Amino acid sequence: MIRKDAIKIASHVIADSPIISANGFISRDLFEADDKTTNFYMIGSMGLSSSIALGVALKNPRKRVYVFDGDGNILMNLGSLTTIGKLKPKNLIHLIFDNQSHASTGGQPSNTRNIDLYKIAKSSNYRAFKTNSKIGLKKILRKIKNIDGPIIILVKITKGGKPGRRIIHSPVTIKKRFIQNL
Amino acid sequence: MFDLLLHEGIENFIGVPDSTMKHFISQGFKKKKILITTREDEAIGVAAGISLSKQNALVFMQNAGFANSISKITTLIQLYKFPIVFLIGWRGYLKTDAPEHYKIGRIQPELLRAIGLDSKTVTESNWKQCCKWAINKVNHSTPCALIIKREFHD
Repeated sequence: MIRKDAIKIASHVIADSPIISANGFISRDLFEADDKTTNFYMIGSMGLSSSIALGVALKNPRKRVYVFDGDGNILMNLGSLTTIGKLKPKNLIHLIFDNQSHASTGGQPSNTRNIDLYKIAKSSNYRAFKTNSKIGLKKILRKIKNIDGPIIILVKITKGGKPGRRIIHSPVTIKKRFIQNL
Repeated sequence: MFDLLLHEGIENFIGVPDSTMKHFISQGFKKKKILITTREDEAIGVAAGISLSKQNALVFMQNAGFANSISKITTLIQLYKFPIVFLIGWRGYLKTDAPEHYKIGRIQPELLRAIGLDSKTVTESNWKQCCKWAINKVNHSTPCALIIKREFHD
């Protein structure tokens, strides 16, 4: 399963719940596959998508808040897992699309080749799931609808596919339409 | 200072502790309004999420953490125009402060100017005006910084 397919599947199941997406190809793929006013594309500030989502989740307990993260991104802010694990927001669902590389910068290897994020998430008080298939991803997304968070879904993806086009909305527009539709 | 900011509508205080503002933080803990993060840039992310939820947030940190966070401030807070207040303890203000604080402490005002983050240095006599200035910035959707000099040794 390539990143773009995984992102498309997840975004369609999530429908109009808020999504905070990591910078680089993850946000670009989400924009191209399923541009919605409830998507917050974080185009800079690498590493912070789960922290932004934590702020949204804490203040909107009745909404399920999703993070579209990457392995390189979460490795840059692993402390975020401990803050989320301490606060245990029931409504936070953290998807990590893991291709074991920094795909947006040329495919250099990341540490998830050697370190198991599943175990780190488990010991940080997350409910953890993992999959490497489209069917598996759909099943998990349906299953977790009745499970309290924080939830992490590790989605192992393979390299490949043309990255999505650049996001055409300005950062301030991305912010304003997200706020209006939250 | 904490009580005034809270009264004026800053409801969320997120950051990494700094001894320069330990009384401010302990007052925040008494009011159950403090969230401690692992790094300063993590706090900036949480504050942005709170701002997306139409609440006001302040991020507190030492200036060492500010230096760590510059690209997050420019590519998240300033780029998307999040009206966050930064409260920054200024280590290295005194030349006799610990040696690890000297270099960043000396260029602290220049760093703020270089990224175009409006700031005021808080003193015993002007702290109320500083808070009101910051609230006014927030109400005009602009981020800003309040700086507290470290004028003592421990």
